[in-house]
Amino acid sequence: MSVRFVLRAGERGYSYLPSVGPNASYVAGHPDGVITRHSSFNFHEYQSGIPGLGVMKVFGDEIFTPGGTGYNMHPHHNFIIMAFVVGGALTHINTIGKVDELREDDYYVFSAGSGGKHSELNIGEQDLHVVYVWVLPGQLLAPPSYRRNRFDRAAGANRITCLVGDEQGALPIGQTFKVSRLLSDADCSHVYRPAKQNGVYAFVLEGDVEIADAILTRRDSLALEGEDKVEIKVRTDGTDMLLVETKL
Amino acid sequence: MKKYLCLGCGFSYDEALGLPEHGIAPGTRWADIPDDWVCPDCGTPKSGFDMVEIPYWSEARS
Repeated sequence: MSVRFVLRAGERGYSYLPSVGPNASYVAGHPDGVITRHSSFNFHEYQSGIPGLGVMKVFGDEIFTPGGTGYNMHPHHNFIIMAFVVGGALTHINTIGKVDELREDDYYVFSAGSGGKHSELNIGEQDLHVVYVWVLPGQLLAPPSYRRNRFDRAAGANRITCLVGDEQGALPIGQTFKVSRLLSDADCSHVYRPAKQNGVYAFVLEGDVEIADAILTRRDSLALEGEDKVEIKVRTDGTDMLLVETKL
Repeated sequence: MKKYLCLGCGFSYDEALGLPEHGIAPGTRWADIPDDWVCPDCGTPKSGFDMVEIPYWSEARS
């Protein structure tokens, strides 16, 4: 058993991006609109700390205030960008031709490939909470693609559900990478079994868990390597977490 | 010849191809690109690129 790092909520990168001032062309919305972003890894100016895990380069949870706040249309290549909506509603517009609205428990996988632009907006009346994950692709300049899916809260209770990866009901991205979600009551233990040699990144959205002798609470995370079995002891009802598995 | 990826947006630079449309000739080494060069798509500084060893989709299919 080997813990690569434990990253506490307060140690993550923090960005405050108002829709006025230097970011005005990048950040959409009402003049009072603001995006707040907590980043586990490098993201733009946030170049200190941990440079990702395996093919995952970005893991950030963001809040967009209401009133049209978000990111204006901007370009990407290559990265596979995933959004997991935790609360509120996300309007996603991309140059593949998709205009989509995602609500709590919805998620998408947008592969920018040979080039694609997207806009991410909160046109609702409550805050949008969304987790963004960026993954290096298995191949450069692939045809862009967009797919969406939904985490089924009833079917997913008290078990680990694969959202992204080569499992039935999940969205595959053609490489050794998975995102799973665990929504669990207290006093349950769960076992996640990564393929040997893969790394695992466990992030607590809400609640309280014990993994590898570490107690993790809201927005804490850790990375493990060399495991074929990760035991998760849930300590609070309504614990909600994401588990990322990646080749290292 | 190596490839580099912008961590800000995913733009890729290939030493073999250069970026002729941005004045960088094919075969230009990453080390020979000025330090104040920025990503033509998103403005991320040169230091925000990572070297990658990822094949092109078109190669992987052939």
